[in-house]
Amino acid sequence: MNDLGAVKPDWAWAPFEPSASQPWNRRAAAHLYRRAGFGADSRQLDAAVKQGAEGAIKKLLYAGSSTLEDAPAKPLAKGGFTMKADMMGSMVMSGGKPQALGAWWLYRMLHTPDQSLEKLTLFWHGHFATSAAKVTDARMIKDHDTLLRRHARGNFGQLTHGMAKDPAMLVWLDSTTNRKRRPNENFSRELMELFCLRVGNYTEEDIREMARAFTGWEIRKGKFLVNDRQHDKGSKTFLGKTGAFKGEDAVRIVLEQPATARFIARKLTRYFVCDEPEMPDALIEPLAILFRENDLQVAPLVERILRSNLFYSKHAIAQKVRSPVELGIGLLRSLEATANLQQLNQSLGQLGQALYYPPNVKGWDGGRAWINSSTMLGRNNLVRRLLSDKETRFKGGDLAAVVKSAGVDGSEATVDWLLELLVASETPRSVRASLVSLAKTSKGEPHRRIAAVIHAISALPEFQLS
Amino acid sequence: MSPNRRQFLKTTLGSSTLLSMSAAAPQFLLQTSAAAATAKSSSENVLVVIQLSGGNDGINTVIPYADDAYNANRFTLRIGSGQVKKIDDQLGFHPAMGGFSDLLEDGKLSVIQGVGYPNPNRSHFSSMDIWHTCHRNEKNRSSGWLGRYLDRSTVAGSDVPALHLGADRQPLALVGENIQTPTVSSLEDFKLDVGGDARLRESIQKRAEIERAGDHSLVSFMRQSSLNALSSSERVQEALKGYKTSVDYPTSGLAKRLRTIAQLIDAGMNTRIYYLTLGGFDTHANQGNAHRALLTELSDAVSAFVRDLGEHGHDKRALVMTFSEFGRRVKENASAGTDHGAAAPMFLAGGKIKPGLIGKTPSLTDLDKGDLKHHTDFRQVYAAVLEQWLKFDSAKILGKAYEPADVLA
Repeated sequence: MNDLGAVKPDWAWAPFEPSASQPWNRRAAAHLYRRAGFGADSRQLDAAVKQGAEGAIKKLLYAGSSTLEDAPAKPLAKGGFTMKADMMGSMVMSGGKPQALGAWWLYRMLHTPDQSLEKLTLFWHGHFATSAAKVTDARMIKDHDTLLRRHARGNFGQLTHGMAKDPAMLVWLDSTTNRKRRPNENFSRELMELFCLRVGNYTEEDIREMARAFTGWEIRKGKFLVNDRQHDKGSKTFLGKTGAFKGEDAVRIVLEQPATARFIARKLTRYFVCDEPEMPDALIEPLAILFRENDLQVAPLVERILRSNLFYSKHAIAQKVRSPVELGIGLLRSLEATANLQQLNQSLGQLGQALYYPPNVKGWDGGRAWINSSTMLGRNNLVRRLLSDKETRFKGGDLAAVVKSAGVDGSEATVDWLLELLVASETPRSVRASLVSLAKTSKGEPHRRIAAVIHAISALPEFQLS
Repeated sequence: MSPNRRQFLKTTLGSSTLLSMSAAAPQFLLQTSAAAATAKSSSENVLVVIQLSGGNDGINTVIPYADDAYNANRFTLRIGSGQVKKIDDQLGFHPAMGGFSDLLEDGKLSVIQGVGYPNPNRSHFSSMDIWHTCHRNEKNRSSGWLGRYLDRSTVAGSDVPALHLGADRQPLALVGENIQTPTVSSLEDFKLDVGGDARLRESIQKRAEIERAGDHSLVSFMRQSSLNALSSSERVQEALKGYKTSVDYPTSGLAKRLRTIAQLIDAGMNTRIYYLTLGGFDTHANQGNAHRALLTELSDAVSAFVRDLGEHGHDKRALVMTFSEFGRRVKENASAGTDHGAAAPMFLAGGKIKPGLIGKTPSLTDLDKGDLKHHTDFRQVYAAVLEQWLKFDSAKILGKAYEPADVLA
């Protein structure tokens, strides 16, 4: 059991100091990369070890610049990734099908030099979960994605204000019309229940009153507009405030509630540290305070989490269930592989995580909910398919090239190297022994034998964890 | 004994099935499992739950077409007396529900009117959790009513005690302390791909079986899930071989899944509970066509299923139950849709139900915050299902004794 009851907040969030029991090594760096991004290959692990924990975190979070403020001034030029991704995005858009966008996002996750941006965008996608199953307009979905990405590491307040006027969001929540005489309660409800406060921090009466503030907010011809004639200009009372509030006031008042900072800090902590149990309030409070003091800026909060003692402790390592996207992209990144991403996107959907198609307004539940008998077999079948698919390339060649370039030789060394690269937790000795014997006895060319070992590793219970 | 059944017993007696049980299964249960498997009976009652997610508009499902208040409140969505499939001179099914109408005529459908609970919650998630767990208090919502039943009633060594068919997450209703219910999106794909290499499969299972030291709860969960998946997939693949029916099922997703269930029941699996979800009932805008399509899917699929069970002689031991987290508001909204409401009808279908309308139809004018008042608590329906169908003390599952609704024959 992951017992957080005895963890002291001061220790938990203090900067991580490597020690004999928690050294800064390839394993720790792999943990950081799996959480802050999707995964690291062998060379990136060596580089991260050299940089030290702090350097590696800064690199992941601010992509080479030392603070958030510097980051926008230094756009990522490496390989012209942003330009390439944008071009691909336009190509996808010309097809007009939102189904194709998923593969485009997977491309970004797989090739970006700035992994944490994609990881946080994915977090907010699950938070402001809006599905193309209902919002069938690809342009709206793409604009929604742009909004998420623009503020992913930035300001939660700005992101929420943007969402209140986002066409995809309002179509999704059936809030494209909102008339004075019959206020639409849906957006007010989800703003408080799912986006900011959580149940218990508002009443049904708050919802009804707040809905009046959003009257006149409409989507027409795919664009947001305020229909002044339909806006209720009367006085409203919600969350203990009274006034002739407009929609912007409603969002601002919700953001000012202390429950908002707590809820987002709690959710980010679950995303980055551990799925279960729910963090005690005492551990969340220091983060909520930090979040409020930074005017709801996301990056400083995430930096605090990733640099903490708790993050590198047994309470965090292998204490998350890999989501399908983390599993798929993580495997490819670790092995320096490229693959057919359209097909991968479909498989990930079958495993429960179709990008741009979250299951409902609450987003993906995550944790144990990813796992059932069907997905358990499906995850293993996916790895098998990725490894054997002709379109999958490893470092431009085959798996033997990857292992060789890492300077790894011999069955035992290969198994250990793969376990360190692919598995977050320790595995029992007898499991390792069984893998070594598989590596020794399996037949065929070297790359097939390595694939057999990776396939066997992917079927281990431990492989499902991050 | 049919060849199918012999194959089952063979797989059932295999060691792998024992592992499908919780790692925490007491040793004595494991020891008696062989006996349990031999005594396995295919005559046990089966419950098929169909969850209508999003909040089904009960008022436009069982339509009070003769009520002036209906016509006044549903100014664009109303369905006239000429169109409904009449039940009596007050109520009629939505025109898309010919299948349910036929079932009713055959005495195989009961319509329980006005089901809900006191002080209704209008959040999808909270209300669904209340239906799943039977607990009002959020803190108590760690297990579901069916999960608790499965925990207390399952014998080791038998088939998977429950199966959730769908791509969505597992419903909380099925979550128990010890028993894990598999969720399966497509039974054809529900197998480990080993390219026909049985030894590969075996080695994968062996590595998963190795005990893990320490008490890392996620690792044990994964290990158990993995073993569970390996054994239950093997059983299901056996059960899927060879099935014949003259019933022409519709092509909808729900119909396909119900056909699969008919197959598994006929094959002699002693799985007691099947759980399905039909989503999309959250009709805030332009409800008309969407709702029609959903009711068509539900009604046609269930009626085909019940006919198929009848053809194979299983309709007296299978019970279909539908529910939704809430109904919808009496007055339609400005977008030709309806907002979250409260009480709504539940349906039971099968050969052992009390057919017809059951319970008082809620008034459209005596409302609670614009919503219908309930007359039957959903836990009374659960109590009837637990006591009379699954033969289990309902108070142990529901937390207290509810008077069972008079719905089963």
